[in-house]
Amino acid sequence: MTTTAKIAWTGISKRFGAQVVLDGLDLAVAPGRSLALLGRSGQGKSVTLKLALGLMKPDAGQVLLDGVDVTRQSEAERRASFRGIGMLFQGGALFDSLPVWENVAFRLINADGVGRAEARERAVEALSLVKLAPEVADRYPSELSGGMQKRAGLARAIVGTPSLLFFDEPTTGLDPITAGAINELIRDRVTSLGCTAVSITHDMASARTIADELAMLDNGRIVWRGRADELDHADHPLVRAFVTGQSME
Amino acid sequence: MRASWAETIMGFAVLAFAALMLTYALGVSGLKHSSGTYEVSARFGEAGGIQPGAKITVSGVKVGSVSDVTIDPKTYLAVMHLSLSKDVKLPSDSTAKITSDGLLGGAHIALMPGGAEDDLKPGSEINNTQGAVDLFGLIGQFIRPQSGSPAASSADSAAKAPAAAASAAPKAAADLPEM
Amino acid sequence: MGLFSTNPVAALGRATLEGVAAIGRVGLFAARGISAALSPPWYPRQIIAQFASVGFLSLPVVGLTAWFTGAALALNIYSGGDRFNAETVLPQIVALGITRELGPVLAALMLAGRVASAMASEIGAMRATEQIDAMVTLSTDPRRYLIAPRLIAATISLPLLTLITDIIGVAGGMQVSNYLIDLSPGIYIANTMDFLTAWDVESGLIKSAVFGFIIGLMGCYHGDSAKGGARGVGRATTSAMVSAAVLILAADYLLTSVFALK
Repeated sequence: MTTTAKIAWTGISKRFGAQVVLDGLDLAVAPGRSLALLGRSGQGKSVTLKLALGLMKPDAGQVLLDGVDVTRQSEAERRASFRGIGMLFQGGALFDSLPVWENVAFRLINADGVGRAEARERAVEALSLVKLAPEVADRYPSELSGGMQKRAGLARAIVGTPSLLFFDEPTTGLDPITAGAINELIRDRVTSLGCTAVSITHDMASARTIADELAMLDNGRIVWRGRADELDHADHPLVRAFVTGQSME
Repeated sequence: MRASWAETIMGFAVLAFAALMLTYALGVSGLKHSSGTYEVSARFGEAGGIQPGAKITVSGVKVGSVSDVTIDPKTYLAVMHLSLSKDVKLPSDSTAKITSDGLLGGAHIALMPGGAEDDLKPGSEINNTQGAVDLFGLIGQFIRPQSGSPAASSADSAAKAPAAAASAAPKAAADLPEM
Repeated sequence: MGLFSTNPVAALGRATLEGVAAIGRVGLFAARGISAALSPPWYPRQIIAQFASVGFLSLPVVGLTAWFTGAALALNIYSGGDRFNAETVLPQIVALGITRELGPVLAALMLAGRVASAMASEIGAMRATEQIDAMVTLSTDPRRYLIAPRLIAATISLPLLTLITDIIGVAGGMQVSNYLIDLSPGIYIANTMDFLTAWDVESGLIKSAVFGFIIGLMGCYHGDSAKGGARGVGRATTSAMVSAAVLILAADYLLTSVFALK
């Protein structure tokens, strides 16, 4: 690779008490690529994302965003570097005290100083991109279905036209039809924004739709990495078990 | 935060009740704050428990309050700064006297209007003052001579005591056996 | 390991260390909260919303508490105080009791129940559902957006509520004295107003500002450190309320002794 990776984890270790979660993790994603991080539950997929977002600090190693180490940045610097990052949380993580449009426009209003009228316009626009009607804008998150909450969360992630998107289990808790629609939306948005994407998932259908590349995280390291079309021919036992849905025993 | 109408109305009701009560209290409490005050001072030999905020009366009606109590470093007299209502104009030779409502009641300053033509001006001083009567000192003077000394000498020393009551007391005691 | 280790001295040492660590965590949280509250950016909408929910919406419960307390205090002084003629200074005792002690403390305890617990459950739920993490990724500092407005609103609202408590408490004493023991409201108020000094009220307001800060701090701290889903949020709610109440009473004693010895 000649170009600088959009985001790279190098030699990351993280432990909670005696439990080692990440053990020298190395992973890099090139600009414009979409990577799905696979792995069994409790293998540190969420921790990997949280480290990249600065929500946790690693015990060792660096997280390089456009070649700059974000783990040693001050909070103000990190907030500035987050301008180009969007994140879709597992449960949507919409602010339930705010109507949907204020949720979507949260960054615009509170961090970018955009006026409320303009912010609202851009929020409604972002909602239409995720196929939500303008009427939804004034409803509260608790009045939306799970699928609609995910869409609103996606709208919130993309409203600032980010260059890097993170998705934490985007299809968890959704029926297959809704999950399929969300996957299509993610793929569509990532392609049209031309941005880099990192998704964590254990849903193979989702991974195949939204990712160009896949990586398997196990015991704190990447044990397998390849393109989506290589998945069916992979000889790693854990990858095989994921693809076939069989237990490891 | 979406508050219900009932909560909002209740909040305003409480505020209204408090405002009503405050208006009533300010109206009732004699001294109207809007009418303004003026300051005069008075020196006393004995402050006798007067604190800032103590009331000032004329004929038992409140006309102001003590704003400050200081000591004159040269004469060692207590200097009272009196804040009086502008509505009350007092003759310049009025007398200020420290008194109390009862044996243990709150000390206050009673003003007795004099007969002079001109009024007390703001910033002037009341020259005629009468300090606090040291009640416990008086009682002490009355008791001490009788304890531990012969009756005869007690009558002598009691005669020197300034208070008339003290000299009257031995006579009263002498009268007792005849009753 | 655990608290029931074989060495009781070690267990005592561990418990002490944990206590000191907890004080350190609260202190650090408070310092960060204060620095966020005192420096820009501020979020005026959030601050106003918190004033509405902490201050304005607490008026009914605080008003009722004040009225009943003033009324009960007047009755108690009348019936119990006649052993030493205290009923002749009933308005004064009610005024002093309400402004210096009961007004600030009862208003603060009501808010500890109403506000500290609500803050802890709201922030705790936001933590549990990753809303706080989401806020960080949206380039907004939760300390400034969530914590600072609550600390500001609680610290400023409580003295204002205490002022209302003082007025309504005196009103309660006055109305009970009027209907039950035939003391005219005019005399009652005149006595109260002659007797009260500015410091009686001011000392109560200073105390209540401290109590307000304690309420905001405990609500936010316990909410922010809530762990373990719904059950953790429930525990945080209880802890916020109980710790706020205990700290309020302790601070009340400390401040009163400072004021009394002044």
